[in-house]
Amino acid sequence: MKTTLGQKLFTVVNYVVLTAAAFTMIAPLLQMLAVSLSSPVAADSKKVFLLPVEWTADSWIYILHRQDLWQSFGVTVFITVVGTLVSVLLSVLTAYPLAHAKFLIRKHVMFGIVITMIFNAPLIPFYMTVKSLGLLDSIWSLILPGAIGTFNMVIIRTFFMGIPSELEDSAQIDGCHDFRVLFQIYMPLSKPVLATVSLFYAVGYWNTFQRAILFIRDSDLHPLQVKLREYIMTPETLEVADMLGNIGYNTTTLKAATIIFAATPIILAYPFLQKYFVKGAMLGSLKE
Amino acid sequence: MAYSHEMPRQANRKRESGNRYLKNVRKHWMLYLMILPGILFYIVFKYVPLAGSIITFQDYQIMKGIWASPWVGLDNFKFIFSYPDFWKVLRNTALIALYQLVFGFPAPIVLALLFNEIRGMVMKRTYQSIFYLPHFLSWVVVGGIVFELLATGGIVNVVRGWFGYEPVLFMQQEKMFRSIVVISGIWKEIGWGTIIYLAALAGINPNLYEAAVVDGASRWKQTLYITLPSLLPTITVLFLLRIGNFLELGFEQIFNLLTPMTYSVGDIIETYVYRAGVLQGQYSMTTTIGLFQSIIGFILLWIFNRLARKTEQGLW
Repeated sequence: MKTTLGQKLFTVVNYVVLTAAAFTMIAPLLQMLAVSLSSPVAADSKKVFLLPVEWTADSWIYILHRQDLWQSFGVTVFITVVGTLVSVLLSVLTAYPLAHAKFLIRKHVMFGIVITMIFNAPLIPFYMTVKSLGLLDSIWSLILPGAIGTFNMVIIRTFFMGIPSELEDSAQIDGCHDFRVLFQIYMPLSKPVLATVSLFYAVGYWNTFQRAILFIRDSDLHPLQVKLREYIMTPETLEVADMLGNIGYNTTTLKAATIIFAATPIILAYPFLQKYFVKGAMLGSLKE
Repeated sequence: MAYSHEMPRQANRKRESGNRYLKNVRKHWMLYLMILPGILFYIVFKYVPLAGSIITFQDYQIMKGIWASPWVGLDNFKFIFSYPDFWKVLRNTALIALYQLVFGFPAPIVLALLFNEIRGMVMKRTYQSIFYLPHFLSWVVVGGIVFELLATGGIVNVVRGWFGYEPVLFMQQEKMFRSIVVISGIWKEIGWGTIIYLAALAGINPNLYEAAVVDGASRWKQTLYITLPSLLPTITVLFLLRIGNFLELGFEQIFNLLTPMTYSVGDIIETYVYRAGVLQGQYSMTTTIGLFQSIIGFILLWIFNRLARKTEQGLW
């Protein structure tokens, strides 16, 4: 293919635009990291630009010693691990019958589920339902009300429908019942899709915020995102003693450090996870 | 098909089909057992709240509960329509939704087209990985970053300072708020939004481009006459899905960017419902607002789906 001058020019401009835009994706995080590692004087006197000025790890040492931050970290880890397990199990159990023609009411059930995607209940009746189940101020209110994500369940179902039925038939001739077929044939075959869906759920649980401010008053049960918001909006809770002058942190650097703290697990897991995510997003878009 | 036998046959069929379901349950009871928790989930957390929306016709009182609260007919609807706060909140929601649609919706399409012009696979993957990252951060994190970057000592004011501009209090200014919402939304979701378009782009038959090259079409012409038309069905579906949730902007984004100083321009239905409903206990009124929001979404979806069916195919 011949390339004209215009095309060459376009290619160059394209790379420049994309590189600049890509930079804006990374720069805010770099800036936060830089501020968290700078001295409070440098952070407040507008000297920090993507690189730390007057290096100090004091902010990090301070926040990593905060009991309440670790408490909320623990809550978040719990709901991420247990919630993901519950969600994947429930989704798989729901998807398997819905992927089988021999399950006579599958069309009716699918219809009933799709309806809930179109007609979402308003917030208040949802809140009242959770309240009347006695789940307020219970850690389960962060897991059960959103246990099945319809989108994720449909991804699994679509994948299950693509598994050749011969496998199942021969297993059933050998006397395998449906639960065994699901756990010993279907699930091992769908490892990639289960990995994707688990990650979707896990990120959702890690980032839990709205449900927590709706359902949880007890601050011991606040997940990390709520704790972070509290630090950002009311920095007094960070109890900074920077009037003494000789301490290497203040609210600006501490806020930056907690922001990076809350984002770190996602960023660390990201390179290794992202290929699964993209596959999943495409699988979801191919349903129908 | 003997039509004269229709009546008795139908009755027969009905009885048979009843039997059919019963037989199915007996034969595949394990499947029914398996799906039971899932069905319970949908009933308890989706259908019960949907049914609970009935308090929109009540003057719901927490002490009396749903069974004893007095019925008031359409009073709640009349009330919200005569309530100035409601119109303010609706206006804010509709304006932000409109800006997001105008600026936010096309953004991933443009980015996907730019990605599409990258030839090297490794380069393409690298760019994509970078652009997908913000999608996975929570709005609390992103909101926190926005506040810090736009603070008087933040990086944006640092850069402004280099050019001799005075620092600006971005987050406290009413006229800035909606732009900040739209831009931060684009920043977070632009990369992730390209995935579906990239999948559609990968599905375009390469023969089309080869034929266009033979006919002497430039890259720009190819984009205009092959790429964009091929994307149109995907764009239509995503547009309709967006329209269906037109007024649902996402609670977490706005809530994490909003301060009392920007309520007048940034308080949206979802944040208002949270404050007036959950925090202040005005259950019936806020449920009515929530229902109103869904009804508008459904009407818009219906209208635009009809329009879409005239040229393209719609959702149904």
